[in-house]
Amino acid sequence: MASSPQLGFTTASGLEQDLAKLIVDSLRLEVAPGDIDPAAPLFGDGLGLDSIDMLEIALAVSKRYAVELRSENRAALASLRALAAHIAQQRTS
Amino acid sequence: MSTRWLAQPERGNRRLIRLLTWITLKLGRPVARWLLYPICLYFLLFSGRTQRISREYLQRILKRPAGWRDVFRHYHAFASTIHDRVYLLSGRHRYFDIRIEGASALHAILAQKRGCILLGSHLGSFEVLRAHGLFDQQLPITVIMHEAAASNLNAVLHSLHPEIRDHIIPPGTPDTMLAVKERLDQGEMVGILGDRVFGDEKGMTCDFLGKPRMFPEGPFLLAALLQVPVVLFFGLYQGGRQYDIHFEPLADSIHLDRVRRSETLRPWIERYVSRLEHYCRLYPYNWFNFYDLTDDARPSHTAV
Repeated sequence: MASSPQLGFTTASGLEQDLAKLIVDSLRLEVAPGDIDPAAPLFGDGLGLDSIDMLEIALAVSKRYAVELRSENRAALASLRALAAHIAQQRTS
Repeated sequence: MSTRWLAQPERGNRRLIRLLTWITLKLGRPVARWLLYPICLYFLLFSGRTQRISREYLQRILKRPAGWRDVFRHYHAFASTIHDRVYLLSGRHRYFDIRIEGASALHAILAQKRGCILLGSHLGSFEVLRAHGLFDQQLPITVIMHEAAASNLNAVLHSLHPEIRDHIIPPGTPDTMLAVKERLDQGEMVGILGDRVFGDEKGMTCDFLGKPRMFPEGPFLLAALLQVPVVLFFGLYQGGRQYDIHFEPLADSIHLDRVRRSETLRPWIERYVSRLEHYCRLYPYNWFNFYDLTDDARPSHTAV
């Protein structure tokens, strides 16, 4: 997987799609990236991920987008949409 | 007071625990320990389920029928370690005769500043290590466990040493493992109990003392993802004032096969289980995991 920090997404949904694919690939989920509801919770009942899965996502996000997720960014871990928004914000700031 | 207190101490009555804690600190350990006899007797009479689990375990480990004396001894060892937490958490750990084996191996690993997962179990006492580390300031240890608020026993005990709350990471939240990573990145130790699967955690069935039992994959997966070493830890109660702490390096780094994950973790989990069995045989009355050994139904989130 290319880990270029210069990934340019013109739309928020472009980043969401890229992130969905990253999550599915790194966790080997048996779900199509397009089938992930961007507003559904990633953890627990939503996508059924556990805390270790969240760590794997954080490691993959750090590699691909050069954005470090920390434990105090709990809100960013809520959903695909929240995570994409957090990444977009971190990359522009 | 519920009879399930023994198996699930977090359900204990807060006022009673506070009273016992007060007596314990006022009267001193030799006198307060007499209270453990009526308490154990009470549980011997009223804890049917826990007693069945204890007896079944003891029969397998002792390889002979276990009578009420054995169960009483088992309860008494458990009650002693809980009782001693009062002294350990209030900084009286020097009162105990604590023997440590494997400390130099642990210090060599810590000197690498990579952090380290201390993999413990419900065999013996985790507190004896934590108190030792906290008060001597040599070993910063953070433990993954439920917060004091969720547990009457821990709420009372932790009030003896409020700073301990900075060294607890609650399990089962989205950011649990991110918080763990941050501690490890600082070169610190994170303690995890590796013999009970909670909630929807990934688990693997291994042979434990001749019966299949589910063990969590989480601690090993964590070590592999973050490339941190794993050191086994056992804090065993010998009786009297004596505790024996054993550290054993398990893995310098665990490599994961992307596709055959569980298979690559299995040898590590089995090695952990075989060391757990080894210490169970040496300290049979220290097994305080009062969940049915054959029951791989997962307990819901309760205290460690």
